[in-house]
Order: sequence, then structure tokens, then C-alpha cells
Amino acid sequence: MYLLYSLRLAIQSLWREKWINLLSVLTIAAGLFMITLTFFVVYNIDLATKRLPARFSVMLYLNDGLSEQEAGSIIAQLKKNNAVEQARYIAKDKALEELKGVLKNADYILEGMDENPLPASIEIKLKKESVNIAGVKKVAAEIKKIKGIAEVEYGEQFLNSIHSIKGMAKAGSLSLIIIMSAGVIFVCYSTIKIAFYRRKEEIETFKLLGATRGFIRAPFVIEGSVLGISGGIASAAAAFVFYYVLFYKVTAAIPILKILVFPFETFPALPVAGLLLGIGGAVIALGRIRFS
Amino acid sequence: MIHFSNVTKFYERQAAIKNVTFSIEKGEMVFMTGPSGAGKSTLLKIIYLSEKPDEGSVTIAEWDLSKLKESSIPFLRRNIGVVFQDFRLLDNRNVFDNVAIALRIRGMLDSEIQDWVMEILKMVNLRHKADSFPQALSGGEQQRVVIARAIVGEPTILLADEPTGNLDTDTAAGITRLFKEINARGTTVVIATHNRELYRNTGRRVFRIDSGNIVGEEIG
Ligand SMILES: Nc1ncnc2c1ncn2[C@@H]1O[C@H](COP(=O)(O)OP(=O)(O)OP(=O)(O)O)[C@@H](O)[C@H]1O
Ligand SMILES: [Mg+2]
Repeated sequence: MYLLYSLRLAIQSLWREKWINLLSVLTIAAGLFMITLTFFVVYNIDLATKRLPARFSVMLYLNDGLSEQEAGSIIAQLKKNNAVEQARYIAKDKALEELKGVLKNADYILEGMDENPLPASIEIKLKKESVNIAGVKKVAAEIKKIKGIAEVEYGEQFLNSIHSIKGMAKAGSLSLIIIMSAGVIFVCYSTIKIAFYRRKEEIETFKLLGATRGFIRAPFVIEGSVLGISGGIASAAAAFVFYYVLFYKVTAAIPILKILVFPFETFPALPVAGLLLGIGGAVIALGRIRFS
Repeated sequence: MIHFSNVTKFYERQAAIKNVTFSIEKGEMVFMTGPSGAGKSTLLKIIYLSEKPDEGSVTIAEWDLSKLKESSIPFLRRNIGVVFQDFRLLDNRNVFDNVAIALRIRGMLDSEIQDWVMEILKMVNLRHKADSFPQALSGGEQQRVVIARAIVGEPTILLADEPTGNLDTDTAAGITRLFKEINARGTTVVIATHNRELYRNTGRRVFRIDSGNIVGEEIG
């Protein structure tokens, strides 16, 4: 096999243009690092919105004067609904207690009220799959039909905005990742293209001596791979510094940031991504090798 | 081994080869001679597939060039050793590497080629220059490196385009002897040259070429 010789040619070429190649590697690393940051942001938005369904609830306010039995039958009906995970009855006085709990020292607000103004209610949690705009609307409409329910309340506004934030973040980050990837490919492409043109004469001679396409391409594909992997490793190092600073230094000052998650798969994924983009750039730069 | 049938080659509407027909058999040694610009190099280029004929058909060792797949070209070329008129040496590689490249292209490892390349360099009297770079060689030395590279792969066809252009009479005679030896081992040899000395009294066929035509054939 000629691959050993190709490797030698690649190393020679990489070394001959070491400064330009170093610059390319740093550019690739910067691109991959920005992809990492983007990914980190969406990943956490995604996580946050995934945790949401567990907290999301729909409140059903019951008609005044409903007996516990009537409330019980409403709960039974609710539980028949496929979208409902659980339903919890909150009696009038319980609701008042909860409100007092929330108000704590400010419970003087309630002073002088001789009658409990709060209605009895049922809090329902929906199954994960149903916590989306369409799903919640549908359930709300169905529940409203049940007799004895005065009002259905859920954070429609909230749900809408979460949905659009998530959509925008996804679309924005996806386009950023695509642009950045194209940028990384382009850096590899132009670096390899330059190397190829510099050796055009020699390649013509190789062809006349009977070199195959594989023999001609291999050193450049190796060069592209080395640039890509090096960029990937450098960006992984940068990502690690970012991770370290964020989770060990910044969180000490701003503890809430501890809820952020940095996926560890990023570290091995970066060199692999660099490799693939590097090979891609090299292959595009080489194009079709013609013999006649 | 090499068959041209009504071959024409144009360069910018100017025919460099005009309706040429000839046959060279396996194991032959043939000379092509004629004035500068006659079309000798163009003929050889067609044989080693560097130029495509515009008309006519060419067959090299059973391969009809018009039907040859592009991906097969390298493998056909490996059977054809070429002494290029313009040398085509790699300036950034030493003599050893310039010769060895013909074998490396075939996927051979350094350990396999080391002795063989040195052997060939000895044949062209350049063993002592193995580590020199082409710029540090005389014209004749460079020419011999090209010859070494052409024969190191033991091709079935050897094409030599003005192989003694830069050589003194004695060295030229030595190279001719080398070509004869290679030919004696069964390699078909085609030599394009202005140098009468090369083919005089060889008893080989000599094609006289002028303005893209074969205007005569004689025995040298
Ligand atoms: N690449 C090219 N483009 C245009 N014309 C060319 C090209 N190569 C050769 N020619 C022309 O084709 C004709 C034949 O050239 P060729 O190189 O075959 O001559 P030659 O017989 O080898 O000459 P010499 O003895 O000087 O090497 C010449 O008129 C030359 O100008
Ligand atoms: Mg010529």
C-alpha cells in the first residue's frame, strides 16, 4: 500500500506550510468552539423545556356549593381523559390555607373577611405528550364540557412564549451551526486547494508515471484530516476551559447557573466533527482528478 | 504492441500529426527522427496518453485507447516508461526519490525498492549522486535520472524523447547500449531523436517524420 508514503507526503506538506496550517487549525478550532457554545445554549433550552411538563398544570375552578361527592365524580371523569396524568382536589378551606402559606407574613390582607372567597378547585397535571399548545387546548375544551366546572385556567400565554422561544432558539442555532460548519469546511477547502496548486506540477508528473486517483488524493485527504482533527482537539480544549470556568468559577458567584448541563459527549465529538469536516473540505478541494 | 491507424492530432486547428498509420511489434526497437516541430513528441504523447488523438484509432498492447476507461489509464501508464524531453524531475526531491517515485506510485515500500533503485542508478552511472538534488546536476546527469526513472518499473514499452540531447558522444553511446539491453530483455523501445549516431548501423527501423507525416521509413 502507498498510504505510508502518502502519510509522509502529507507530513512534509503540513510542515512546509506550518504557519499557514496553524492559522487554519486555529480558525477551525474557533468555528468548532462557536458551534459548541451554540449547541450548549440550545441543549439547555431544550432541557429546560423538557422539565416543564412536570411543572405545568391546569386549574379547574368548580361551581360554588358543589359537594365533595360531586367533586369526586368530576375527578373520576377527568381521569378517563387520556391526556390527564393526575388530578388533585383542593377544597375551599385548603385553598385558603395554601394562599395563607404563600402570603406568609402578609396574611393581614385576608383579615376581616368573614367568608372564604376562594372557590374549590381541581389541579390537573397532563401527560408529557400533551403539554403543547394544541394538546392543552384540546384537553381544556373537553374538560370545560364537564358539568360543575366553572372555569378552566392554564398559562396559555406562557405556553405560547415557551413554544416560540424554543422554536426560535432551535432555528437560530441550527442555522448558526450550519453556517459555522460550512465555514470550517471552507477553511479546510482553501488550505488544501492552496497545497494542491502548489504541488500541481509534481501531481502532473505523478499522473504521467501511473499514479492512481487514490495515490494523488491520499496525502491531501490526510492533510485535511490532520487539520480537522487538530482544530477539533483545540476546540475541545477550549470547550473544557469554558466548562471549567463556568461550572467551577462562575457558579460559585451565581449558584443558579448550576442547573445548566454541559454534555460530556461534546469533548470526544469535537475531534470527530473536525475530522469529518476536514475530510469533506479536502474532498471538495480535490474535485475530480482527470488523467486526460 | 503499438498501432496507429489514420491518426490526426490538432493543436488549435493546426495539425501536429496528420493521418499517420504505423505499427510497432512487441520487442521491437524503433527510432523516430525528423526536424524540430515535426511532431515526434506529439506522437509519443499520444502513446503515453498525455494527448488524445482527434481522429483515427490507437491501440497499445491490446488496449483500444478510445474505449479505455479513464480510471484504467494509470495502470496502462505503468506499463510505459517515458524519458520526457523536458525531464519532469521533481526539484524538491533528491535523485534517489526521483527514481523511487515510479515504484512508490505502484504501492511499493522503501524496504522493497531501496536496493533496486540503487541498482538502476548504477546502470546510468549515478550511484554517487543518489542524494543530490536535480538543480545540482548537469544536464546530462539529469537526463540519466529521467532514464533511470523510466526503466526502474520494468515497463513493457519504453518511450524516449530525445534521450541523449544533453549527452556527449561517449555517454550517449552508453545510453544506447543500455536501451539495447533493455530491448533485448523484451521491452518494446521507441526513441525520438535528431541524433543520427543513435540509430546508425543499428539495423532497426527508423521513421522519418516531417510536418506531422511519416515521410519515410528506412533501416538504420
Ligand atoms: N501544447 C501545444 N500547443 C500548441 N501547439 C503545440 C503544442 N505542442 C506541440 N505543438 C506544436 O505541434 C508541432 C509538433 O510539436 P512536437 O513537440 O511534437 O515536435 P517535435 O518533433 O517533438 O520537435 P522537437 O524535435 O523540437 O522536440 C509543433 O509545431 C508545435 O509547435
Ligand atoms: Mg520533441
